[in-house]
Amino acid sequence: MLSLAEDVISSAVKKGADEAEAYAYQGLTTTVGIERGQVARSSRIIDCGLGVRAIVNKAVGFSYTNVLDDKAAVEETILRAISSARASKPDENWLGLPPKKLLGSAEGTYDSKIVELHAEDLVEVASVMLSAAEQTDKRVFPIEGGAGASYLSNAVANSNGISVFDHGTVIECSLATVANDGKNVTPVCFEFNAERKYDIDPEWVGKEAAGLAVSALKAKKVETKGSKVIFTQFALQQLLYYTLINAVKADYVQRNQSALKGKIGQRIASEAVTIYDDGLLKGGIHTGKFDAEGVPQQNTLIVEKGILRNYLYDNYTAKKEGMESTGNAARAGYLSTPSVEATNFHIMSGNKSPEKLVNEAEDGLIVYFVQGAHSSNPASGDFSVVVAPSWKIEKGGITHATKGAMVAGNIYQVLANVSAVADNERKIGQLVAPWVLVENVKVIGK
Amino acid sequence: MKDILSRVVSFAAQKHEAEYAEVRAQRLFKTMLTVKEGRVEAAEQGIENGAALRVLVRGAWGFASVGALDAETLIDAVSDACKMAKAASSRIKTPIKLVEAKAVEDKVVLKPRKDPSKVLVEDKINTTSSLSSTVLGYDNRVKSCTIDYLDVTGTTFFMNNQGTYIEQDKLYVWLGVSATALQADVLTSSRDAVGSTAGYEVFDVETPETVGKRVAKRAVDQLRAKPPKGGTFPVVLAPNVVGTLVHEAFGHLAEADFTLSGSVLAGKLGKKVASNLVTFYDDGTMDGAFGSFKYDDEGVPSQRTLLVKDGVVTGLMHNRETAHKLAAKPTGNARAKDFRVEPLIRMRNTIMEPKDRSFEELVEGVKFGYYFKRFRGGEANLDGTFQVGTQEAYEIVQGEIGEPVRNASISGNTLETLLKVDAVGKDFELWPGICGKGQSAFVCAGGPHIRVKGVLVGGSA
Repeated sequence: MLSLAEDVISSAVKKGADEAEAYAYQGLTTTVGIERGQVARSSRIIDCGLGVRAIVNKAVGFSYTNVLDDKAAVEETILRAISSARASKPDENWLGLPPKKLLGSAEGTYDSKIVELHAEDLVEVASVMLSAAEQTDKRVFPIEGGAGASYLSNAVANSNGISVFDHGTVIECSLATVANDGKNVTPVCFEFNAERKYDIDPEWVGKEAAGLAVSALKAKKVETKGSKVIFTQFALQQLLYYTLINAVKADYVQRNQSALKGKIGQRIASEAVTIYDDGLLKGGIHTGKFDAEGVPQQNTLIVEKGILRNYLYDNYTAKKEGMESTGNAARAGYLSTPSVEATNFHIMSGNKSPEKLVNEAEDGLIVYFVQGAHSSNPASGDFSVVVAPSWKIEKGGITHATKGAMVAGNIYQVLANVSAVADNERKIGQLVAPWVLVENVKVIGK
Repeated sequence: MKDILSRVVSFAAQKHEAEYAEVRAQRLFKTMLTVKEGRVEAAEQGIENGAALRVLVRGAWGFASVGALDAETLIDAVSDACKMAKAASSRIKTPIKLVEAKAVEDKVVLKPRKDPSKVLVEDKINTTSSLSSTVLGYDNRVKSCTIDYLDVTGTTFFMNNQGTYIEQDKLYVWLGVSATALQADVLTSSRDAVGSTAGYEVFDVETPETVGKRVAKRAVDQLRAKPPKGGTFPVVLAPNVVGTLVHEAFGHLAEADFTLSGSVLAGKLGKKVASNLVTFYDDGTMDGAFGSFKYDDEGVPSQRTLLVKDGVVTGLMHNRETAHKLAAKPTGNARAKDFRVEPLIRMRNTIMEPKDRSFEELVEGVKFGYYFKRFRGGEANLDGTFQVGTQEAYEIVQGEIGEPVRNASISGNTLETLLKVDAVGKDFELWPGICGKGQSAFVCAGGPHIRVKGVLVGGSA
């Protein structure tokens, strides 16, 4: 893989590229799917490909192919990257591909046990999860879910001497359920577990997914008023993905699309909020030695006790400001050029138990999922979403599920109103976070 | 290609006792451009060749995907798929069966007026550059403009062991554009899209000037908008929002896989769920529309599927599996994003039928309410709770369109809301979009202006 990438570089330079970069990717994924209460399908997907960036006269061209065993196809891809660059326009801000740097170490990202798994093993994982859900309550219907194991490897080489290879594994299982008591259907309830090592708990996932659905029955409308709200990790991930996480990307900042432009050193959240983007987090879903441009991943302080400290950079956005890349370039496999992306967006835990947080919420809501987060205003951070499933908290205890409630506000107001964070950190996609308690969130009920 | 695919499906049936076997192959070519403030971030071109092998063995699905098209690799892959199916079948309780579908042999050849694969990359760059200049030049408060351009051309091949073989040319042109505007502390954003299966000639109608002004004006107008009040109000919805409502709030629930999972439409066939004024279609046959195609990814002809007629549920959207399960006819809604994934039930062009009211008639009866003009996003849950967020909305005061409001969203229960539709306009617009259901699918949604008696409006701040 690495030798293919290196060959591409020398060939591209020979063919007239001023600079060149090759990204090679291979992914093997085995999955088992649950559909409407039964294990119904299994699949094996092999995807590999090559993406080539060629720079001619400060103009960037890119081409990709998934045909790797044919030398002519690879050569054609190189030529097409160069011709794309020639057809394009020079970019005065282009200051070169990244230089070679020493890589740090990324721990807990590969487990040979995952590579050796067969479909039968995953059928077992899915079945354990399914029976755990079914045994919890007969009003629960597991609608979909499954188990999957992936082996992913990638290599990056460029004409500045970068030449790096890494591989990793991921295993996951998930279950979506609804409960139906003959009168009402709950919103979809979901649980999952994803790890880099073969250390997942399908029984817990099944029980939790079923338990959530049962407690989402007998939902009642709530009043319209300002309330204390606990956002669990799922809800936080959904709300932050379209707002804060974009707002700290240098690309958004430089292009006036971020409400956080010019706010380095200023307070953007309450004292309780400290956030790192940790590309080296042990066992993190987005942990790796290097990013999509071959630049070392690192741990970057974003928000320190409410004060904005740094933005996230890839090579291009960093050079534009005379900064160094923070190792935050990402790609959609071999299909795209790099762009700035968070790795493990880590909201640091506090010292309160989840029970204590519920207790402190007194008269409020606990929100598991939100609907419509992608319709948030990406620039201003305004959002207006349905919360489901979510539960009412009364006198410091969870009482009943809510029906058709919405919450609306601005993500920066939410961050400023965080009064406490719990100690129950977990990984959800890009986010690593505990539950957070937010004061005075507008809840719209009846 | 036909010979190779034929060998592969018969191998699965004969050597692995597959009850059903299909192979879907593609030879596609893509061009993409990302343009930020007129700067071409990268001009991109790519080849995606590959095949998807799907089989039913002992009542369970097996699937394999490979990035190759040679006989040897495909035979290995179909054997893999059969092994996967056997593994999954060990716990099968209700074996999966498929509804009968007529065997088809066809070759779909497209003859676009302007074939995007024959348009020079330089010309595509010029189109996006002139769009970018229109947006940024509209007003000095417009601060950024992002454009994503994509075209896909090539051919797909489908064969199953039931006598169907289809070669189908593919053509998609897509352009998404977004802009932000800034004044003092107020930051607004707007976006728009162009999508077609006809050809590059779509830009003769949706010219860079037309689209650019639309996007820039919206971002600028939002600068003086105020937050809406939260609560229940009468609303008038524009075609763009109606389309999103039909797609998100109703359409997803009428995808038979979701209906079978217990969506609120389960058991509602033949029952009245909406006001008499409500008629919905999912139509895969509209010429040049972004959600149109001749055959779906199970080789079933696309069609115009009536979902709701005068408020009564008349049909669901099916693949061959759900059609069998619900004793219905297949509707040609099985779509896969590419060879890497299995087909799912997806919408095509989902629309509400226009009636007879003028826009003025819809608005004049409203003392205080909102006019929602342009959607930003939407989502529905199986229990029928939907949310549609908007990027452009106005107050309606004493029957007149008033001040702009920003970031408002509407929510409610689909069935309760559809019963409250009390007036339907005579106009019609169709808008392209990209729908996400694990995989992305190119679709359109549309309809006339409508009025709804009462909807929960989520005010921000």
